[in-house]
Amino acid sequence: MPKCTINGKEIEVKEGTTIIEAMFKNEQKIAHYCWHPGLSVAGVCRLCMVEIEGNPRLQIACNTVVTEGMKINNASDKVKDAAKWGLDFHLINHPLDCPVCDQAGECGLQDQYMEFGKYDPEMAEKKVKKHKVVDLGPTVVLDSERCILCSRCVRFTDEVSKTSELGIFNRGDRSEIGTVDGKSLDNKYSLNTVDICPVGALTSKDFRFRQRVWYLKDQETICNGCSTGCSIKTYFNREGFYRVKPAYNEQVNSYWMCDEGRDLYKFVNRENRYLKARRKTEAGWEEMIPGAGAKEASALVKGQGDSLALVLTGQYTVEEFETAVASFVQETKSKQVYHWQNHAGKENDFDGFLIRGDKNPNTAGLKKVLSKHGIATSWHEFQSAISSGKLKTVIVAGPENQMHYQEIDTLVKTLAKTKVIWMQSAKNASLEALSVGSWILPMKSYVEKDGTFINYAGLERKFKKVTTVVSEALTLAEGVQLVVGQNLMVKPETNAFIETARRQDQVMLEHRKKNEFVFKRGSL
Amino acid sequence: MSVVQKNTSEASKWYLPGILVGLGITAKHLVSNLFNKKQMLTINYPEQKYEYSPRFKGNHVLTVKKDGSLRCTACMLCATNCPAECITIVASEHDDPSVEKYPIKYEIDMLRCVFCGFCEEACPVDAVRMGPEWQTPGLAGSNFHYGIDQLAYRPQLKGGMLSVLDDEERHKSGI
Ligand code: SF4
Ligand code: SF4
Ligand code: SF4
Ligand code: SF4
Ligand code: FES
Repeated sequence: MPKCTINGKEIEVKEGTTIIEAMFKNEQKIAHYCWHPGLSVAGVCRLCMVEIEGNPRLQIACNTVVTEGMKINNASDKVKDAAKWGLDFHLINHPLDCPVCDQAGECGLQDQYMEFGKYDPEMAEKKVKKHKVVDLGPTVVLDSERCILCSRCVRFTDEVSKTSELGIFNRGDRSEIGTVDGKSLDNKYSLNTVDICPVGALTSKDFRFRQRVWYLKDQETICNGCSTGCSIKTYFNREGFYRVKPAYNEQVNSYWMCDEGRDLYKFVNRENRYLKARRKTEAGWEEMIPGAGAKEASALVKGQGDSLALVLTGQYTVEEFETAVASFVQETKSKQVYHWQNHAGKENDFDGFLIRGDKNPNTAGLKKVLSKHGIATSWHEFQSAISSGKLKTVIVAGPENQMHYQEIDTLVKTLAKTKVIWMQSAKNASLEALSVGSWILPMKSYVEKDGTFINYAGLERKFKKVTTVVSEALTLAEGVQLVVGQNLMVKPETNAFIETARRQDQVMLEHRKKNEFVFKRGSL
Repeated sequence: MSVVQKNTSEASKWYLPGILVGLGITAKHLVSNLFNKKQMLTINYPEQKYEYSPRFKGNHVLTVKKDGSLRCTACMLCATNCPAECITIVASEHDDPSVEKYPIKYEIDMLRCVFCGFCEEACPVDAVRMGPEWQTPGLAGSNFHYGIDQLAYRPQLKGGMLSVLDDEERHKSGI
């Protein structure tokens, strides 16, 4: 294990570690564009220069392996100067579209310019014009003028998605990213290229121009798109959610996520949600405050005994399942709890990278809770109980993420003669066909609660509430408790002001202590 | 609390001299205004309007390009810089790739605006300016959320105000 000194700090690293990796492990800052921890080393941007003692010239940190006794320094004036002029070269033909560029605010060029640059451009030549607003595929737009040719996107399609759509065409200052004629950047992971592009050359069609990034807050949570359960970061402000990006998780998704998962913020936003409890009457739908609605709906449940069933989908948290099943069994003395899963037969599908056929984030958690309560029912039993007319009332905890739940329609049809209490967060047109007397109760979505998901591999992960979208909505636990006739236990909050998703103070504490006034502009 | 006792002299108890001094000042102004009308401070508003200096920060104007479309690129820097948070912009994709982004909604809440001019300062393309107009009367319930129609194309602007910057020249010279 070689030992080296980086900026005066002695550290020990694994054999074969590059300088940049060693620096990141030790939380040292270094400018870089082309190096990405999830990709191979290219060494093309020349920004990660470091000074190595005994070496007359600066070396790049991303492609130099640490050797015994190496003395590395990246804070000297020489290094800063190298970064500065490297940056100058990157910006020679750069259009400076910042006002219309979606990357502005999280752009590598802007960041490094503020750190190292701050020069006046000395180029008298005209800038080389390249293609703008190139439609690369269904999800991504390219602006070749802004590209700094770091080749991260090319390496991504070669090494990670293994689809090799992108390449660098032409030479010198006319080089451009592009696809081979007639081909488009079209794979299930294409939007990762937008995340790793350090500048605004690749932008996401979905997010394009919808919001400036400095108006968004971010918070980590877990994707509920499939049973892989990628760690994600959601970006939101008080108007709703705007985008989803992957967060690093060594055990699950590394630095990546699939494109479909990035659409999962949509059904969380207010306009796609049930806001009120609704009861179907002969005349149409009647609306009510959710809690009151759940209390009223309990009339359907009272004294039903064996003609009552609870149907659960694997889209709620372990804690919710636990409370819901426990109070259901306790109050109704019935063990008719069924696990509804979409895509029967496809749940073990796997595309070899991240996407799994089981489109529920917590199937394993639900199974665990059911077996804990000794419930071993099958979906066939439920179907025969329905067709034999044994069940009079069914409580359904519907799926939050309905992208792969076309079965909702069929289930609603089979329940035509049954009274249903359907708990659901996002709107679904099929639910309009529920029988008279049925209820729809609005649920909280996965970003609005703390909880645990257990993924396909049995990995148990806790996540925190991101924000509140529909404040009156109930969690599954609250919904089932109210419906079966229990009262809600109001637990004393141990710490009402949890550290999560809190708006940052305009003047941060450390600045206040120093009596400096550094304002965070662009509040929410 | 402390009460300051005024030193009341005998002379000030006679109020007539004070009144006469005051009347004297008024009479002086009356006479000088009669013979030199230019220096008179009172004007016959509203028939006569006061000329503010050209730096005056009045109602906003969104400047337009030569073809009459908005200059604004919807970068939202003005909205970010605005201390009153009274600018609302919704951006969209423009058909012309050289324009790329433009506002489909640009709204200023005039009653919240403090007329500080920070928006004008923030704009990178001279698209928003503080104009000379300062009269913004309205009845109860009138709309003080000025949209693009008001800000760029109100009748007083006679089809829109051009900026001194010329984009075509700028592009030709390779910037
Ligand atoms: S890539 Fe960065 S520097 Fe270039 S236009 Fe976009 S925000 Fe500005
Ligand atoms: S498009 Fe982005 S990621 Fe790809 S080479 Fe250019 S700058 Fe790098
Ligand atoms: S003048 Fe000041 S307060 Fe008014 S819109 Fe501009 S920045 Fe906001
Ligand atoms: S700063 Fe200028 S270009 Fe940007 S949104 Fe405001 S008016 Fe438009
Ligand atoms: S990060 Fe080392 S050369 Fe680009």
